[in-house]
Amino acid sequence: MLKITNLSKSFEKILFEDFSLEIEPGEIIAITGPSGCGKTTLLRIICGLDNSESGEIYVNEKLISNLPPEIRNVGLIFQTPVLYPHFDVENNLRLGDKNGNIQSALKEVNLEGFEKRNIDSLSGGESQRVSIARALLAKPEILLLDEPFSSLDEELSFQLVSDIRKILKMRKCPAILVTHNINIAEKFADRIVSLNK
Amino acid sequence: MKRGMTHLLIVISYLTLVIFPLILAFDRLIWVSGFNPSNWVNSLEANYISQGVLWFTIKQAFLSTVVTALIAIPIAWQLGRYEWRFESVIKAVLTMPFVMPSIIVTMGFLQITGSNGLSLRDDSSTWLPTLLIAHAWFNSALFIRFCEPVLSNIDPNYLDQITLLPGGNTRLKRIRNLWAPLLFPSVIAASCMTFVFSFTSFALVRWITIGDDSLESMMASIASSAGIQGYMISHNEIILGASLVQFILLASALWLVSSIQQKRQKQIRQSLEKIVKSKNKTGWLVIGPAITFAVFPLIAVLISSFRIRTTSQTGTHYDWNTSAWNFAFSDNYSLASANDAIFNSLGYATITVLIALPIGWFLSQTIVKVESKNRFLARVLDLFVMIPFAVSSVMIGLGVMIGMIKIDPEFFYSLWITPVFAHVMITTPFVVRILISSRRSIKQDYLECAKVLGLNNKERLFKIEFPLMKHSIFIAIIFVIAMSLGEFGASWVVTRNSEWTTLPILIDSLKGVPYNNSLTIPAACAIASILMIFTIITFTIAEKFRKTNTGGMF
Repeated sequence: MLKITNLSKSFEKILFEDFSLEIEPGEIIAITGPSGCGKTTLLRIICGLDNSESGEIYVNEKLISNLPPEIRNVGLIFQTPVLYPHFDVENNLRLGDKNGNIQSALKEVNLEGFEKRNIDSLSGGESQRVSIARALLAKPEILLLDEPFSSLDEELSFQLVSDIRKILKMRKCPAILVTHNINIAEKFADRIVSLNK
Repeated sequence: MKRGMTHLLIVISYLTLVIFPLILAFDRLIWVSGFNPSNWVNSLEANYISQGVLWFTIKQAFLSTVVTALIAIPIAWQLGRYEWRFESVIKAVLTMPFVMPSIIVTMGFLQITGSNGLSLRDDSSTWLPTLLIAHAWFNSALFIRFCEPVLSNIDPNYLDQITLLPGGNTRLKRIRNLWAPLLFPSVIAASCMTFVFSFTSFALVRWITIGDDSLESMMASIASSAGIQGYMISHNEIILGASLVQFILLASALWLVSSIQQKRQKQIRQSLEKIVKSKNKTGWLVIGPAITFAVFPLIAVLISSFRIRTTSQTGTHYDWNTSAWNFAFSDNYSLASANDAIFNSLGYATITVLIALPIGWFLSQTIVKVESKNRFLARVLDLFVMIPFAVSSVMIGLGVMIGMIKIDPEFFYSLWITPVFAHVMITTPFVVRILISSRRSIKQDYLECAKVLGLNNKERLFKIEFPLMKHSIFIAIIFVIAMSLGEFGASWVVTRNSEWTTLPILIDSLKGVPYNNSLTIPAACAIASILMIFTIITFTIAEKFRKTNTGGMF
C-alpha cells in the first residue's frame, strides 16, 4: 500500500537517515517521538510539501516521490484546522470534491446541518471534523494526520480519535497519525512506530 | 468615565471642526442660489462651464482605477510572494509616489510628455492617457499596500492544504479558489480608494488635460465668484450640484472601504512564523519596469530644473546651469521666494501634526471602542471622520474661506496660521486610518491583563497602548507632514487672497507665469525638487518604522 524506502532528510541536523516503512491496505499507524525528531517533516515529505535528500515513496506500487503534491492523492490534516474564512462549511468541503455529497460527508463526521455555517462560528473540534470530512471527500489513497488532536481537550480528543478511526476502517483508508501523546496513539493506531534519535 | 468624556469631547470638537465650515459653505451658497437640489444637479449639464464635467470625472476616475489595478496587482504579487534583495528599498520606492504632492507628479509628467520630452502634448488625444498613467503612478501604492501584506504574510498552510485538494490542484483552480477570493476585498478596497483619489484629482487634471475639467478643478476655478449675492448665481448652483453628486458617490465608496477594512482585519489568519520565500528572477521583468516607472517622473523634474531653454537667431537650444535655482530663491520678481514658501510649508506641517495627531488618536480609539458594542454606529462615525475625503479639498477650502469672510476676513487673511485649519481637516482622516488598523490589531487580552494587574487609564496608555502603537504613531506623524507639505487644493482656495504662499502654491504660480521667461518652468521644477526631497526624506524615515506585516491602507 504505502512503501517508504531509505528516506533521508536533514535540516540543520540529521532528522532521519535511511528510514523505511511499509503500511498494509487499510492499516492505521501512529508515529511518535520527541519534538523536533522530524515527525511532521516526514508527513510533509510523503505528501510532497517537502523534499527528501534520498529515498523513494510508493503508493499502491506507484512511485510518487517525484510527483508534485497536487497529483499525489495523499490527504493531510494539519495540526490547526485549515479552513478558508472566505468560504462557508459547504464551500470548504467542495474544495475536496466539487460534486461530492456534502450532507453525507457532514453526517459521517457528526455535523449534520452545518453546510451554511460560517467558519468562525465553529468550535475547535467542529473545525477539525470539517477538515477531516473535506480530506475524505477527496478520496485520498492515504490520509496523513499531523497532531490534529493536540489543540483539543482530552475528552474531545478521545471522542474524535474513536470517530475518525471508525470512519477510516469503514472506508479501508490507510492512515498515518503523528503524535507525541502515547495514549492517543494506542487508541487510534493498529501499530505504533517510534521515530527516536 | 473621565477618559470617556474626553473622548466624547474630542469627537464632538472634530466633527464640529469638519462640519462647521461645510455648513457655512453650503449655507452661503444656498442663501445665494436658493434651496433646489434638482436644479443644482441639472445645472451641471445645463451650463456650458460644467457641461460634460461630471461624466468626464467619472470616466477618468473609472479608467484610472482599471489602469492602476492592471499595473499594480502584478507588482503586489511579485513583492508579496517572492523574496527580493533590498526588498524594503524596493517597497519604499514603489509606494513613495502616493505621498508625493500631486503638483510634483504633474510637473514630472509634463516634462516627460511636453516639448522638452516626448513632444506628445500638441496632440490633445494623448492628454487622457497621460492623465490615466499619472493617476496609476500616483495610486499604485494603494494596491501594493492593500494586497502585498495579504500575499506576504498569509498562513502558508492555506496554500499547502489547497494544493493537496482537488479544488486546488492546478494553478487556475488555486487562483479561483484561493487567491482571487482572498485578494478580492483588498482589491475592492484599493479600487474604491483609487476611484476616490482620481475623482478628486485636482492638480493633475488642471495641468495635464487642458481642455477637460474634473468636478474638483471646475469648482476650484469658479469658487472665487461663489457666495456673492446677485453675482454669477449659476456658479453657486454648479458648486452645490457638483458637491452633492460628489458626496453621494464618494461617501458610498468610502462606506464600502470602511466596511471591508472592518471585516478583513479579523478574517485572514496570518503566519506566526517567518515565511521562507523563494527568489524569482523572471519577476524582475515586472519589478524592474515598475521601479523605472516610479522614479522616472521625479528624475525628470530634477533634470528639468537644470535645463534652461535659450532662444537665439540660430534656433532653440538648452543650457545646463543652476540659474533656475537662483531665480527661485531670489526676491526680484512678483511672486514669493522659495525661502518664504519653505518656511510657510514647514511651519504649517509642524502645527498640523501637533493638532491632527491627538485628534486622530482619540478618534481612532473611540471608533474601535464603539465597534465592540455597536458596529453600525462605529461605521457611521468612521464615515463622518472620512468626510473630508468625500467632500474634496476645494469644498473644505471654500468652507474655511467663507467662514473667514463671515467672521472677520481681514483678520483671518492676515493670520499666518489660517491655512492650518484646512490642513488639519484634510490630514486627520489619514491619521485615523493609520492608527485604527494598529489599534484593532492590539489583542484585547493585553489591555484586560493590564487592568487585572492594576494599571490605571494613564498607565495603560503610556505603558501598553503607546509602546504597542509607536510605529504607527510615527508613520502617522510622517504622513501628516508629507500630506501637509504637498496640500494644494484647499490651500489654493484659502491662500488666494493672502500672502501665505506654500511650496505647491508657488509651483502653481510659477507655472502660470507667461512662457516667455525661460526660467519660470525650470524654477517651478526647482521648487518641486525641494518639495520632493522633503517628501523623500520623511517617507524614508517612515519606512524605517513600518512593521513588515503592517497591512491596510497606508
